[in-house]
Amino acid sequence: MKFSYNWIRELVEGLEYAPGTLEKLITMKTAECEGIEAAGTDSIIEIDNKSITHRPDLWGHHGMAREVAAILGCKLRDPANLALLPTGPAAIKIQIEDLELCPRYSALVFENITVQPSPLWLQHRLTSIGLNPINNIVDMTNFIMAELAQPMHAFDAGLIRGDTIFIRPAKPGELFRALNDEQYRLEPANLVIADSAGAIALAGVIGGGDSAIGEKTTRVILESANFQASSIRKTSSALKLRTDASMRFEKAQDPANTVRGLARAIELLREISPGIRLVGGVADQKKEMPLPPSIELPLEWLERKLGRAIAASEVRQILERLEFGVAELKPGVFRVTVPSWRATKDVAIKDDLVEEVGRMVGYDSITPTAPLVAASVPPGNPARKFQHEVRNIFIDQGFTEVYNYSFISEASARAFGFDPEAHVRVSNPIASDQELMRASLLPGIWKNITENARHRESFRLFEIGVEIGGRPGGLPYETPHLAAALFDRYGDGTGGLFEVKRTAECLMPGAMAKPAAARSFEHPARAADVLWKGETVGRLFELHPSLVESGRAAVLDLDLQLIRKLSAGDVKYTPIRRYPSSAFDLSVIGGLREHAGDLEARVARFAGPLLESVQFLRQYSGPPLAEGEKSVSFRLTVGSPERTLSSEEIGEIRARIIEGMRELGYELRL
Amino acid sequence: MLDESIRELESRSLARIQSALTAEELEAARVDALGRKGALAQVSSGMGKLAPDERSRIGKLLNAAKQALESAYDAKKRQFERAALTARLDAEWVDLTLPAPGPRRGHLHPITRIQRELEELFVSLGFTVLDGPEVETEYYNFDALNIPRDHPARDMQDTFWLDGGNLLRTHTSPVQVRGMERLGPPLRMIAPGRAFRNESVDASHEHTFYQLEGMMVDRDVSVAHLLYFMKTLLTAIFQREVTVRLRPGYFPFVEPGFELDIQCLICGGSGCPVCKQSGWVELLPCGLVNPKVLRMSGIDPEEWNGFAFGLGLTRLAMMRYGIDDIRHLQGGDLRFLEQF
Repeated sequence: MKFSYNWIRELVEGLEYAPGTLEKLITMKTAECEGIEAAGTDSIIEIDNKSITHRPDLWGHHGMAREVAAILGCKLRDPANLALLPTGPAAIKIQIEDLELCPRYSALVFENITVQPSPLWLQHRLTSIGLNPINNIVDMTNFIMAELAQPMHAFDAGLIRGDTIFIRPAKPGELFRALNDEQYRLEPANLVIADSAGAIALAGVIGGGDSAIGEKTTRVILESANFQASSIRKTSSALKLRTDASMRFEKAQDPANTVRGLARAIELLREISPGIRLVGGVADQKKEMPLPPSIELPLEWLERKLGRAIAASEVRQILERLEFGVAELKPGVFRVTVPSWRATKDVAIKDDLVEEVGRMVGYDSITPTAPLVAASVPPGNPARKFQHEVRNIFIDQGFTEVYNYSFISEASARAFGFDPEAHVRVSNPIASDQELMRASLLPGIWKNITENARHRESFRLFEIGVEIGGRPGGLPYETPHLAAALFDRYGDGTGGLFEVKRTAECLMPGAMAKPAAARSFEHPARAADVLWKGETVGRLFELHPSLVESGRAAVLDLDLQLIRKLSAGDVKYTPIRRYPSSAFDLSVIGGLREHAGDLEARVARFAGPLLESVQFLRQYSGPPLAEGEKSVSFRLTVGSPERTLSSEEIGEIRARIIEGMRELGYELRL
Repeated sequence: MLDESIRELESRSLARIQSALTAEELEAARVDALGRKGALAQVSSGMGKLAPDERSRIGKLLNAAKQALESAYDAKKRQFERAALTARLDAEWVDLTLPAPGPRRGHLHPITRIQRELEELFVSLGFTVLDGPEVETEYYNFDALNIPRDHPARDMQDTFWLDGGNLLRTHTSPVQVRGMERLGPPLRMIAPGRAFRNESVDASHEHTFYQLEGMMVDRDVSVAHLLYFMKTLLTAIFQREVTVRLRPGYFPFVEPGFELDIQCLICGGSGCPVCKQSGWVELLPCGLVNPKVLRMSGIDPEEWNGFAFGLGLTRLAMMRYGIDDIRHLQGGDLRFLEQF
């Protein structure tokens, strides 16, 4: 919202500060100024709209002038002279169907109008704050909107059918041609202004094309109304039609302001359309106006909230300058009456008054103070702590952390064989390639691999993030996952797979890879489930070479929620064995594609309870072994906590293994 | 006569020991002189024929010669051992300028770094770290924060809506509500995490960004306390004294609401391009928790109150590391990430 410095100066008596100083004061006390711009002899102060969302009164110069006057202790001039309002029967009837949706509708009829360009001062004023001059009548309505924050609309009375203005919900499918030449199909949720034949304006949003002021207009119905904020906002966002009027009404304007707008119009029209005549009195239908709300403000409570002492007289002065009513209810307690322009939604509770007093005394007058609270150990967050530990492990093993978007495209979901329909879908995606919520980190990691492969011969990276999965009737699942990748342009890819596997074991000592059928994006002969403590916690695989043309990428995908659950539990000490253990080696001959892990498990099973550990030593294929065979060697360590094993006992264990393996069809090289 | 030959034998053997060039020559000299069948042994084997007086005198003489030769031998032997060790170690020369094998340490994402630092800081101040879902309900993201449907404040946060009516949280503030519901007062919490706004991406705008929500609920929490925590926090983050100021700001879940600015760290407040010549940089929104928000989360605002703030981690990381393009943060480019 743009404010003219000169305009504000006309309304604040004795304002001496330069625009730059004023801008700083407004920023510190009222609302954020985004910048200041010279415009001829004027300066335009731009206020961030977001910072006045709660202040319907600040959408006009008079409201801002009131703030400035309060900050500086100057006198505020009121441009609306209510004494100008004509009395007597009105020339037009008003019928409001629902006073909740339209709490007030005021109108005046003027005749003998000359539609012509506005005087230059008026044109200039509108241009300086970004409004286009059109003709004197329309410009007058825009001027009052910019001054009093009261949107107004002028209808050509000659084009209105009947003698009554209706404020009613639109009929289903009712067509309406607006001033912008667009045709809208309306719904009963849209409030319209209508004559006996149909809609002539979309209430609080835009006027109709069929009753617009033109060169031939001589008689005008001037509307100054008040509408329910949420209704205007709904209509405006449903029709994607934001106007200067709707922007103001959706902030909840002051119903007391309608007749002030009319009074201001009388004064202006006399100047810019000489010869103009009023027809009848003010037509004014309204809901019974509520009493100004009053708030009990205990001063001691106010001080505790601000964290500084403040004199009662100062509190009173601040509130009175902002035109709040202040009465002393009892010692130390004020009864504060809220002015109508602050009462629509802005100020309702005593906390709102803390802000009024706080900003005016200046927050810089408050000394930062440490609170006196009980010392306590905050509850921990084991899930987050675990994720930080996981990060440390991967960093230590050379992996660099990446962050990817939570969105993926249908195409990349399909590239991984995921069903796009099984994903949570964004209704209003920012781009068509960001329409699904990721149900896997892998598409993002794939992108990281292909992009970085352009610059690097080898690299390691990982991401920790949530997989989002559908769950009907509630929030979707969000499962923390880790995806890590090791890329190498050269080599056959096995080194990378084992490096990734080793890193997985850093996180999960004793984790195992259990070969499993490959998914479409996995290398068909290089894919395994990751098992830890008996549960499948993830996947270890090489990306299908067709997905990574420039090299090999080993990938690890882990369910961190499950792994954290399995990691729980403290270390329990077991005494160091007092008796020496013994070790011997065995080599098992099996098929070339036999899994060493399976052979190891079998050997261990036959070894029995005295086995301390079994360790893979090496594998070998070639002469003297037959074609299609390999020999896998293990070192077995056996022992007992109670005694030193005799050589006979060790021999028995060894014989038991050899015999057991032979029964399963495996020869052993001894 | 015997005296003479012993002395001559001693000096000859001594010369041979001392002039040995190799360990082998030395050993041969020792065997010849001191060995079981060596020269000294031969002399002493003939001593039985001597008179007792003479025998004892010659015996002493032989002993002295033996000791002299043995000590010369030991010295020479040590000399050879030292030389051998020196030679062996010299052969073990290693070029330590060669690179160490194995992977280099990886890098934490800059947001993770900042986030961790802040988590540790807040935990040390007695705050608990909470998490909330990235997909939220309209209730937690808006209604429970005093932003009802059709409130214009919803425009401040362009929202990604999901099929089925949920949304991507537009801020980490919903975790406040979840924290209040779960833990109740008194409460000190932070919630760092990912948030989403439906806006186009360019060098300074992102639809995916990171925030750290903070909240304290206790009896008699004041603006002065809020200022204290913010100043403490920012001094720790920037590792120097920072000057902060509060000015009015509107956020429906706080009342009063503030924008907190810090005095520009680049120019010290005199004005520069970073602070757009104003001397101040807008850093975070904060305020006292709106009593309506407390009430909606089941906390009696007559008994408890609090402050809340929302720190932009993305912005902080960019300021801290001088990152000029926000898109790097989600770009996955190792040439960027490996700098941290």
